[in-house]
Amino acid sequence: MSHKRVVITGLGAVTPIGTGIQTFWDAAVRGANGIQPLNSIDTTEFRSKVGGEVKDFDPLKHFGAEEIAHLGRSSQFAVVAARMAVAQSGLDMGKEDPYRICVCVGTTMGEPQILEQGIEIKYKTSDARKIPAGLPRQYPCGTIPANVAREFGTRGPAMMIPTACAAGNYALGYTYDLIRLGKIDAAISGGSDPFSKIAFTGFNRLLATTKDCCRPFDLNREGMAVSEGAGMLIVEELEHAKKRGAPILAELLGYGLGCDAHKMTIPDPAGSGGIEALRKALTNSGIAAEQVDYVSAHGTGTGENDKVETLIMKTVLGEHARKAPISSIKSMLGHTMGAASAIEAVACVLMIRNNVALPTINYVTADPECDLDCIPNTARNMKIDTVVSNAYAFGGNCSSIVLARYQG
Amino acid sequence: MKKVVITKAEVLSSLGKAMQALHANLPLDPPTATTVQDFEFHKFDSPVACFKVKDVDPVEILGKKGLRTKDWSTKLLLSALEIGLKDLLDGAEEKSRPGICVGTAFGSVDSIGNFLSESIVSGVNNVNPQAFANTVINACTSYANVRFVARALSCTVATGFNASLDAMIYAHDHLQRGYLDWIVAGGLEEVSYYSLLGMQRTGVLSSRGESRPFCTGSDGFVAGEGCALFVLETEEHARARGATPIAEIVGACSAFDPSDSGAASGESARYAFEEACRVAQITPDRLGFVAASANGVPALDEMEARLLTSLCPSVPVTAYKRYLGECYGAAAALSTACALSDMENRRVTGVGAGCHARGKFNLVTTSLQGHNSEFAAVNAFSCDGNCGSIIFKRL
Repeated sequence: MSHKRVVITGLGAVTPIGTGIQTFWDAAVRGANGIQPLNSIDTTEFRSKVGGEVKDFDPLKHFGAEEIAHLGRSSQFAVVAARMAVAQSGLDMGKEDPYRICVCVGTTMGEPQILEQGIEIKYKTSDARKIPAGLPRQYPCGTIPANVAREFGTRGPAMMIPTACAAGNYALGYTYDLIRLGKIDAAISGGSDPFSKIAFTGFNRLLATTKDCCRPFDLNREGMAVSEGAGMLIVEELEHAKKRGAPILAELLGYGLGCDAHKMTIPDPAGSGGIEALRKALTNSGIAAEQVDYVSAHGTGTGENDKVETLIMKTVLGEHARKAPISSIKSMLGHTMGAASAIEAVACVLMIRNNVALPTINYVTADPECDLDCIPNTARNMKIDTVVSNAYAFGGNCSSIVLARYQG
Repeated sequence: MKKVVITKAEVLSSLGKAMQALHANLPLDPPTATTVQDFEFHKFDSPVACFKVKDVDPVEILGKKGLRTKDWSTKLLLSALEIGLKDLLDGAEEKSRPGICVGTAFGSVDSIGNFLSESIVSGVNNVNPQAFANTVINACTSYANVRFVARALSCTVATGFNASLDAMIYAHDHLQRGYLDWIVAGGLEEVSYYSLLGMQRTGVLSSRGESRPFCTGSDGFVAGEGCALFVLETEEHARARGATPIAEIVGACSAFDPSDSGAASGESARYAFEEACRVAQITPDRLGFVAASANGVPALDEMEARLLTSLCPSVPVTAYKRYLGECYGAAAALSTACALSDMENRRVTGVGAGCHARGKFNLVTTSLQGHNSEFAAVNAFSCDGNCGSIIFKRL
């Protein structure tokens, strides 16, 4: 088995609390709340009227008008976040073998606004021929990594892994494998999802959305906030990174996947998939539970998720679960779907770099079933060398990744 | 490198149910497409040619329980698993069951489109919340995990036309890394109003409703649907459980062509094909045959014809999309199933007469019988830029 080490050399983020790494980090440290009344859809009929939109994202600041016409919102987010990550990493595509650079992206909904637009045209005009000929090409979610690959001229695989809200972790995990197998030198990897009327409608109908703010682990949590964004990371083979003098921000030690095989929309109350994923991640990473300093929770703010995730942590980490704080940045961002775990991976790298653990905001009342230290409301200065980041999804798709301070 | 073998294949296609349908129908003349016009919420002005899965009744295969809220894609996947792999899945203890990895371009775009249509027609507070779960692209795979209590892996890959080829490569890589011993991998795609409408608007459908890969007169493809699944496992695992390998995956490569014209430039397609051969440690002329990606879209067919003319002009080439249509995310898996059928039956399926072929390569028109192939390649080259090749060795 290969002993190649896998490191992170660049970060990019487009989120409801800010676009750009420094903007995002500053907002997260101060506990900014990105959940606000929605602008992009008419919420009159919905029980929930809030969500997380990327309000500072103006496509014209990033793309020409012709490009915008060919890029769905998810692709726009992904490309912009990837530009940041590539710039920080200093990855010069002109000096790389393009076949050894991969793009791997996760998503939940892909480019749903394209389909929403097409169907609205069909209903409003009763004439499908009014749908612009170029529109359907933008819909398949595989266009998201393809658009990123086109942006940088990469020729390695342009993978799309749409495993819903765990997709970002799946994408990072696969790039980790491709590097360990020696198939690629580096990857632009992460997740992207736009605000989707489908997702907002669906989660409203499942009564899973909050009416005001997202309160993970709080006794009175009432649901998630549908949100949007993208997180992209440059994942790279260590020697390749060192050779070109890249900034080594953290090490991706490993990951694990599991599946509840229980219900489509409800986690297994016993947490089977999450337990399996975390155990595999620790084994794959070669670390003991006691080495985990901090856990980035899936932490959606729904009754079931937070309770089950607490159980998973206690089952796998044992007594150490009470020593390793666990917080949910979804309290600030809402649930950015397939982008969530990628943005959370970006946050984890920043937490390691800054020795600051981000808070769970909106926390008021302790829940005896979620009795771990969730870093309530205020960021905490603490030594963070090793972190676990969990992401769970519809269909019981469960994942955990392990990131650590790079130590040569 | 671990040897990864295929020990079982199952398929639902427009040629019929199970691998036997391929064994029986591939030697026959290529079929003509059927047509569809009416769907649940929408209707086309005139019939649209397509290749629909036939001889599959999910209720008969799966029973009524739990099917009410499942869409056609999910029913196809569950049916394929039930027909071909249920004994194998049920025979293993829960903790030892294989993972599942499925490639699809769209998931169930019918579910997504209908959910939206219903919200417009009936109002957002009247859509069925259970239908929402079907709108995520990984829904079909996850339903399969739930039904067969397969906890080891649930993964969906969505790289357009290449999705099932990339799903097989993902599974192969997962096995190479030693995470699991076996994975059910393959592809799935449905024909729906929304997908057909999108293809119509994009102008990629054949105006005559004919699926004629590599033919100079062709102006597009005919959409198809289907599901093909394979049990991929390490040779050691297959041996330990007494399974007989059908084929070994000896080479594979996935690449991307970033040029504006997608794969039409041919550079990345050539790389993927050559790299797959290099990994397989064979030169292209050792291939018994090539299952081409060609689907009747002139630019893509022309590109692949150039590649084959250049790299293996004398190797027999077939194009199963002549029989099955363009099944998008399921296409490479269906081509793999057909290729395995051809290898097993010592033949190479012909694409039929009456075609003035592009390029100067060995396009098989009349099926070759008694053709013994040690190696076969399956290509997937798409207009979205994804390019991949996978090479099988018959065992």
